[in-house]
Amino acid sequence: MSLSSTVDGGRRLTAGRHTLGLFRSELRLVFGRARTQAGLGVLAAVPLLIGIAIKLSGSDGDAEGFLGQVAGNGLFLIVASLGLSLPFFLPTAVTVISGESLAGEASLGTLRTMLTAPAGRSRLLAAKMVALAVFCLAATMTIWISGLIVGFILFPVGDVLLLSGTTVSLGEGLLRALLIAIVISLSLLGLAGIGLFVSSLTSTPLAAMAATFGAFIVLGIMTAIPQLHAIHPWLLIYRWQSFADLLRDPPYWHEIARNLLVQGAYLVVFYTAAWARLTSRDIT
Amino acid sequence: MGVTQRSRRWLVPVTAVAVVAGVGALGPVVADASPKLPGITAQDLLAKVQTAKVDGLSGTVRSSANLGLPSIPGVEGGNQLSELLSGQHTARVAFATPDKARVSVLDNQAERVWTTDGKSAWAYDSSRREAVKLTLPARSAKPDKPQAAPKNYDPQAVAKQFLDAIDPTTKVEVSGTEKVAGRDAYKLRLVPKTDRTTVGSVTLAIDSKTWVPLDVTVMPRTGNDPAVELGFSSVSFDVPAASTFTFTPPKGVKVTDKKVPATRQAPHPVKPPKAVGPKGEKAPAQRGDKPTVLGEGWESVVMVRGVKTTGNGPVDQLLANARTVQGSWGKGKILTSKMVSALITDDGRVFAGLVTPDTLQAAAAKAPR
Repeated sequence: MSLSSTVDGGRRLTAGRHTLGLFRSELRLVFGRARTQAGLGVLAAVPLLIGIAIKLSGSDGDAEGFLGQVAGNGLFLIVASLGLSLPFFLPTAVTVISGESLAGEASLGTLRTMLTAPAGRSRLLAAKMVALAVFCLAATMTIWISGLIVGFILFPVGDVLLLSGTTVSLGEGLLRALLIAIVISLSLLGLAGIGLFVSSLTSTPLAAMAATFGAFIVLGIMTAIPQLHAIHPWLLIYRWQSFADLLRDPPYWHEIARNLLVQGAYLVVFYTAAWARLTSRDIT
Repeated sequence: MGVTQRSRRWLVPVTAVAVVAGVGALGPVVADASPKLPGITAQDLLAKVQTAKVDGLSGTVRSSANLGLPSIPGVEGGNQLSELLSGQHTARVAFATPDKARVSVLDNQAERVWTTDGKSAWAYDSSRREAVKLTLPARSAKPDKPQAAPKNYDPQAVAKQFLDAIDPTTKVEVSGTEKVAGRDAYKLRLVPKTDRTTVGSVTLAIDSKTWVPLDVTVMPRTGNDPAVELGFSSVSFDVPAASTFTFTPPKGVKVTDKKVPATRQAPHPVKPPKAVGPKGEKAPAQRGDKPTVLGEGWESVVMVRGVKTTGNGPVDQLLANARTVQGSWGKGKILTSKMVSALITDDGRVFAGLVTPDTLQAAAAKAPR
């Protein structure tokens, strides 16, 4: 009795260690790739480019929205950069990384080994998804940190003017910008789920990336067609812009929560589809 | 692992799709189940509404309007009211007796705020970062408006009077209960007895505890989607803190000062979207004379004379596509939508109303030149 329980415990421990090791090696794989680092580098350059452009043009707040506030308060460089990266740069990065995740292994032939390995296919998929989620967070945090550094060097900083016309301290402003980065990284999870599923269908990473990006473009076009307003709330990117609700006083959570629910729904559907595909796949 | 067993795995994502779709489609329906409330007559309900007294409230109001109005290219954005009359909007509102109010319309990545603490009123537009300050004239000791009710004021009598007055034109009934903003509410439904109007029904949801109207829905005569829906999505009847209604112009915001002449009564700076009633929509008067109302009740038609309808590109374009009609009243173009009809005659008169095009022509025939 005691022996079997010890054995059980030991097995669970090794399994746990296995899982941890799998996750760690997955993260190393994703962040060790040159294209990941290049992608993060491009994202880090976004605040720099915007900051320099605003500094050189010397405009002090003619532009509407967050961009117009950058010259007066460097903190808004973070928000403006995140907002401007959301429609294109961030989805592109997520598409590339998620398209690569399973198809890349398949094209190199390493997936075959991994599918036969004792780690288990479900756990492999979980490790891939966790690595993708970590990448989404890393991508938005790169912009946050880069925006913080560039904004504080190039522009004056101070109390933060919220959309509701009230002012909060710089510390709270930074916290709200951090929350925006987290919300945006969570907003990317639905797309990451689509990418993971598409990546499980093919052994050509480029095809997976193209298909995922195509799906993203189609969703974008559907969101822009007013006649489709009946299905708009169901579309992946319909509420992406709701992150700005964090800059109201008090923050308005309704739309953000709806957005995260939609992301969660997409993630569950496509993650389970990827799971069905991967676990029923023949090893060829 | 057999093929069937393998393909059975695809049941998991299929189930996930079904669950997501089911929750998304049915969730709101389940949440909106009608609450059980003791029965009440329309007259009693109306009497209760008059006695409703709240010292303050705050909440989120959502409006959606689908009047089927043609969008005129190039005119949009100019008129805030017409912009608020179409599409969906969310606003935070707060109110405290006697004269404090705040409305902030939550736009996409922007906010428009109107607030007054009784002494001054502010309008703030976050996208332009501009604020307008309005200094209100000091309130006289006696309120200008006859707020104090006469001593023999009897809500029941007033309710009965009201019901008698609208009885020839409108059927009034308590049509059930519903949940609005998490509160139990009675539904009071007004149905026009005439078929000449485009209005199918107007339904008010009235809170069963405070007797405050929480929601108004206008249904068109045809179709199942509300033409106008305006109501609280969340509400609290706690009196908001006084600081809610003050506005301190932040640094970097351009402030314009405006004064309201003390002789005139202060225009209420905050116009809650509540004003959008069944008769809230009027024909856009374009430098015409004073509008005249023809007809009564639901068949009311607004007439404006001396409107210049040519020379305005987008409007010309709109009229070019409109149907031409003629009758004893002359000749003109008719514009119709789900809710609003408008008749523009060649001699520069505009008739508009929540009526059918035929009613509009009949009104035009009787109208003075």
